[in-house]
Amino acid sequence: MINILIKSLEIDIAYAVNSFIYILRKMPIFKDLFTDDVYNSKIIKKIVGFFGIIISISRAIFLKFIYFFVIYFITYKLFPNDMVKAFFHIYFILTILGMFINNKLLNTSKKKYFSIVLFNMNANEFFRMNIFWNLLTSTILNSIIIYIFVDKLLISPTIFYTIIFIILSLNVRLIGETLNILYFKKYKYIWYTNSSLYFPILIVLLGLCFLPYINIFVPIKIIELTTLITIPLAAASIIYLLNIKNYRQMYKRLVEMTDVMNEKNEKDYLKQAMVEVKEKDKKIDTSILEKKSGYDLFNTIFFERHKEILLRSAKKYAIIALIVYCILGYLMINYSNYNKSIAELLHIKLSIFIMIMFFINRGAIITQAMFFNCDHAMLRFNFYREPQVILELFKKRLTTVVKVNLIPAIIIGIGNIILLNISTNNYSLLTYITTFLFIICLSIFFSVHYLVIYYLLQPFDKDMQVKKASYSFVTLITYIITYMLTKLVLTSEILSILGIVFVLLYIVISLRIVYKVSPRTFKLN
Amino acid sequence: MKLEIINLCKTYGEKEVLKNINFTFEEGKIYGLLGRNGVGKTTFFNSLNGDITINEGKFYLENEYGRNRLNTQDIGYVVSTPIVPEFLTGREFLQFYLDINKQKINDLKDIDYYFDLVKLNKNDQNILLKEYSHGMKNKIQILVNIIANPKVILLDEPLTSLDIVVQEEMKNLLRKIKENHIIIISTHILELATDLCDEIVVLNNKKLELIEKNNLNTKKYKDKIIKTLKDESND
Repeated sequence: MINILIKSLEIDIAYAVNSFIYILRKMPIFKDLFTDDVYNSKIIKKIVGFFGIIISISRAIFLKFIYFFVIYFITYKLFPNDMVKAFFHIYFILTILGMFINNKLLNTSKKKYFSIVLFNMNANEFFRMNIFWNLLTSTILNSIIIYIFVDKLLISPTIFYTIIFIILSLNVRLIGETLNILYFKKYKYIWYTNSSLYFPILIVLLGLCFLPYINIFVPIKIIELTTLITIPLAAASIIYLLNIKNYRQMYKRLVEMTDVMNEKNEKDYLKQAMVEVKEKDKKIDTSILEKKSGYDLFNTIFFERHKEILLRSAKKYAIIALIVYCILGYLMINYSNYNKSIAELLHIKLSIFIMIMFFINRGAIITQAMFFNCDHAMLRFNFYREPQVILELFKKRLTTVVKVNLIPAIIIGIGNIILLNISTNNYSLLTYITTFLFIICLSIFFSVHYLVIYYLLQPFDKDMQVKKASYSFVTLITYIITYMLTKLVLTSEILSILGIVFVLLYIVISLRIVYKVSPRTFKLN
Repeated sequence: MKLEIINLCKTYGEKEVLKNINFTFEEGKIYGLLGRNGVGKTTFFNSLNGDITINEGKFYLENEYGRNRLNTQDIGYVVSTPIVPEFLTGREFLQFYLDINKQKINDLKDIDYYFDLVKLNKNDQNILLKEYSHGMKNKIQILVNIIANPKVILLDEPLTSLDIVVQEEMKNLLRKIKENHIIIISTHILELATDLCDEIVVLNNKKLELIEKNNLNTKKYKDKIIKTLKDESND
């Protein structure tokens, strides 16, 4: 196994050094400095290799440092009075999140393809080496950084929590990898390529990070207990991972790998997979289509084929929202402190729903699906680029997207009304109405917004890579403004009225612009 | 040595691609696998290589010592689009490959011997694979599959995009190594198949069919192959 590790690292270093020299040779200053034989020069490669190793170690430390610093900064800024509790809370939730999304063993990469298929390495040894190396490096890094943050900055001089977090991180990594493989063996695909599973988990766990807003923290005892409970599970995971005999077959079953290699860029593949038409959506109930014709039929077929990422996904969000509201309702009825803080959140910090509605809106993904599974091909035909066709389809799409996104929005809106009603405070009818309408308006706003920027900026190239800087800029600005607006502390009545007016204005103006400009802007880049 | 395929079935959703395929390939022969576009030639190779889950079927290698299940280590698979680590030089790539596999390779030779085998000169050995032409990448890909000395070599459209000189070099190389191997080449080019291959197999109506030559001249043999391929579309 050590030989495989050494060879693997040697290949990594040679690859990185050559890539670096290749880039240098493209620069005018260095162009003449290196001859064609440079890749054969041992001295140059040793020097570059040495610096390369230093840089990659520093980079790994820096990235880990940034990760912890962001958590630290958030706790420092948002929860200055409960820094330790908030830091532990967020780090704990993110560690659990890492268990789900930070799986390294089964993700596809060029390195794995080269090692197993081209270099014909023993796959079992390669994977065991990977487990060992990943855990070793991440544990060393975690130890240094966690020590700096937890021990030095927070609760000096105890080292107890440093050790707790190092063990917890290690445990959840092992358990996460094992669960990932078990899932793959049962369902023949990696769970996180299924966006309807991935996004709800991501959103719920990220949402839980913000519980300190309403004074809810994961108790330290729970963190300690989780660490303790996960020790035997992690031990069982190690035994399981080390005893898998068919890593090669398992990895080869990831047929995607070959596609990834052919596609050149694995990210492209992930993006495609995300908007891929699911098998169960390929057959459409023909009775839905019977009375439709033309672009109405075209649009219906598109959305029927994308039920998984749009309709079913929206329904799942609605169900999750329903569960969350039931829990919150239960807490409010039975615990007076929750009753107070949740009611306060709905009345004074309703702005937080701007972020929630931003995250649950399916607009971004559906525009990707529109491009990749439809417009990418159709825009090559002249008839599809006719202004009246563009606008007709835009209207139909907008109606459908708005309707679908309204499903979870209505649940959230009604949920808010019920929670306000459960609250011991007395609210006016205006509060109920405006709070409900605010959520509905937000949902419509994000539906319109994504479709409008898709039609105005037509951002993707044929490989689904975001191409135009303007699109990236607009999405970034949307995110920043959304985030900043969550800071607003206004009563729900004022916020809702302002919000509703803004959203109505935005819709009217943006739709006018789309009607005017999109026949020119909606084309292939 | 024989490669036996027993009752291979593969479906994609409801579409049946390979149906109850039973066929035996023999050592010392180059087989040309022909079939219309989308008929399932690559699926057939991927099934043998264990890259996809098959619905049914077993593969065996039989030699004088007995009959064993076909193992992925027994197969060398040259895919149609050569995929190589672009930021290694040809020499580095081959050196790493030899280092990693030295215990598995019988009669290990010096690295230069292997480069001579595919006629790759010194200068080309020391440039990045990224800068290799499609043909050169293909040579490297075929080379590592030959060095590993697998019993079965599958080549998916290997010579289609090569220039005439390299095509001839590769053909000669394949003829040279065919004695101890079972070589199956999928191709669209009938001339290549009839020129290089000892046997022509058509993937027809989801099954493999050997096209017997039976003393036919090349023209009549080609007509027979085309007729078989056309029959497929009428089915």
